[in-house]
Amino acid sequence: MLVALFTILILGGGGSGMLDFIAVTQDDVKAVMEKDDRRKQVLATLKAMKKRVTAHNKAFKQTSKDLDKALSTDADIDAIWEASFALRIKYNGDMLDMRFQLRDQLTRDEWQQIFASEQA
Amino acid sequence: MVKWLGNWNPVLWCAMIAIMVTACAGTGDVTSADVENQAFEDLRNEIRAVVADPARETEAIRLVGVLQKDFETLHSTIATRTIRLRELNADYDTSRADFEAFLASIEAQARERRQNVTATHQALLAAMTAEERSQVDKSRSRAINAAIKSMQSI
Repeated sequence: MLVALFTILILGGGGSGMLDFIAVTQDDVKAVMEKDDRRKQVLATLKAMKKRVTAHNKAFKQTSKDLDKALSTDADIDAIWEASFALRIKYNGDMLDMRFQLRDQLTRDEWQQIFASEQA
Repeated sequence: MVKWLGNWNPVLWCAMIAIMVTACAGTGDVTSADVENQAFEDLRNEIRAVVADPARETEAIRLVGVLQKDFETLHSTIATRTIRLRELNADYDTSRADFEAFLASIEAQARERRQNVTATHQALLAAMTAEERSQVDKSRSRAINAAIKSMQSI
């Protein structure tokens, strides 16, 4: 119990994919865009984002396992903290690259329709 | 069957949906906060059962309180940041610098949490023997398992 709680706290919850919600908007894209080459490009970007999310989740699970092990054996957890930060920073950078690629592929109007429910 | 359902009056459909929603709400009386509170209570009970020394027991239970508070803070931090991140994304004009500044602030919060969590962890190591910690760690009530699942989804 204790180890599980500390692991969740250290990793900041069960998952750290902060921009992963963008990757699951294929249905909205299909509803908003005509079926053409531009839509193909947008869907390809979303597919790449999904792939990146999957890879990140896999690495995150490994970090979680390493942390469980370290906490159970009183090992130094600093290295795992740092690895988890580095993992997330790299992931966020990659996801931002793809987010802005997606933005360039969509018009302002399309963007607003796809993400309409999340506007402030 | 489909044809039969299609012949239903819209009013009947609305009534049916209302009944289903009410039924679902009735089964959801126990919130995730309730489950987590019970899990931390179970953890305190386990510590009371396992730690023989009263002074160390009191200290360990105090630290569980700190841990519980950290979780409450984490929940609210994640909820706030999720909303903000979705708002930033929804705005077509948000610059990369705006995103980077926001994500940097999240990293700064995580580093601050690191210090607090490490301090609590070290204090718990000091408050319990390895054997006691192992026993406490093995204890998994239904509430604890449910709370861990709920926390892993945040």
